Amino acid sequence: MSEFERLRIVAGYEFLKHLRRKRLYWILGVVIVAELAVLIGLPAALGGYPDDVMRTAAMLSIGPSLATLGAVFFAGDAIAGEFERKTGYILFTNPVSRSTIVMGKFLACYAAVVLLTILGYVIVCIALLAIYGQVPIETAGSFGLCLLFAGSVLAVTFFFSSVSKGAMGATVITLVFIMVISGVLEGILAMADLPSWFLLSTAGDSIATVYGGYEAFMPGDTAYRIPEAPDIALCILSMAVYLVVGFLLSLWITKRRQLA
Amino acid sequence: MCGIGVRLTSILPESLQVRVVAMGDRMREPIVIENLSKYYNRFLALDNLSLSVMANENVGLLGPNGAGKSTTLKILCGLLRPSSGTAYIDGIDVVEKPEQALSRIGVIVETPEFYSFLTPEETLSYLGRLRGMRGDGLRSRIKEVIRLVGLEEWAAAKIEKFSRGMKQRLGLAQAVLHDPPILILDEPALGLDPRGVVEFREIIEGVGKEKTVFFASHQLIEVAQICNKVALIDGGRLLAYDDIAQLETKYQSLERAYLELTGGAI
Repeated sequence: MSEFERLRIVAGYEFLKHLRRKRLYWILGVVIVAELAVLIGLPAALGGYPDDVMRTAAMLSIGPSLATLGAVFFAGDAIAGEFERKTGYILFTNPVSRSTIVMGKFLACYAAVVLLTILGYVIVCIALLAIYGQVPIETAGSFGLCLLFAGSVLAVTFFFSSVSKGAMGATVITLVFIMVISGVLEGILAMADLPSWFLLSTAGDSIATVYGGYEAFMPGDTAYRIPEAPDIALCILSMAVYLVVGFLLSLWITKRRQLA
Repeated sequence: MCGIGVRLTSILPESLQVRVVAMGDRMREPIVIENLSKYYNRFLALDNLSLSVMANENVGLLGPNGAGKSTTLKILCGLLRPSSGTAYIDGIDVVEKPEQALSRIGVIVETPEFYSFLTPEETLSYLGRLRGMRGDGLRSRIKEVIRLVGLEEWAAAKIEKFSRGMKQRLGLAQAVLHDPPILILDEPALGLDPRGVVEFREIIEGVGKEKTVFFASHQLIEVAQICNKVALIDGGRLLAYDDIAQLETKYQSLERAYLELTGGAI
């Protein structure tokens, strides 16, 4: 039996786990609520939808972005849970390499997030078609960046899951890393007029800034200086590095980790 | 390995040839533990432990809490790495080639925990498929082992509803699912009610007749019923390794042997 066949089996059962867990449906609910909030809130606040389709499209990208952050809730317990709940006593005593197990879990988590992201963008497309009768081509770019961001968030979560004793700890540390530490550093670097494309939170902003920078979120006559949007290519590079390094580290650590 | 042994013996002096051939023979035994030591930080859990289990032997691993029983079994199952020494399953180094070694064994470690979102049938299907089983063969074997451990009524229920004893039964079912030649069991009857303990003992006794069983337990009665040999360890060291009959002759009973050798701890 090939390792690829084993990988397929692990990924299949892990995906079944996500389908049977409530958190998938909770995150889907959050995505729908976020999109509805934009679709109801924008005309309520502005007296109608903006004339520029790009501005609405950028605002609607919040939903899929939240779906990618939902990856943290799928992946937090992927590795730590096997050690914390001792299910590893059953899984790790099978003739399957730990690398295959980690890869299978990663693929299953990624498939679940991709599913949510696709649903998010389906809502975006339907809404834009209904309001403007068009979907800008940049939506495809936003979708691609969102998928890459989901992979990098997953890889970072897998890294924290591989080093954490508990699933909850891994989830919280990852959220703090992405939303607090990375977010605060991003703010400081922006104030100092320094680039921050190498931070995961900034790279994630590219999902929305692909529609035309941060201007899409600002009123046209703002007195504030609008920060320059990070270069998309650099954001892609940054997310790819988080994806590769985070995933490889989680593989290496899980292979070495002992289950006492 | 045998090929290397043959080549080596042809170039070595006669006295060394005997040792190489003897080592080759030992490697063919289902379980071989050689000079195994394990530290948890500064705590020495296993101290140069060596023993081997022959084919179709049922060996009980006895010792007080913290003696090193679980550590020994977890090293054999690839869950822990030894600080020094080696362990072999059917001649395969468990540290170097864990996947190959694991394909030869069925395992229960402590009270097994399963994915709560799966049913016993789905769990066994998952684990069976990981071991290369499939199709009708897998389905009929799943029914067989579920019947063996008495979980027929619960076969399609989510494991989240299971008691500890039911999980223990499912643990035994997954351990024997692929009909492995070697069973490694760590306190397999833990958490079962008295009727369950008796049933469990009978099942292991039955399946153990055609298999090599290495079995850690606190229950001397259980060990005496299932095993023909015992390895007594304490402080990570091997105190005695003999037939139960021999130990009973020497110490009057297995209980007395245990108490005397472990310094009264039970």
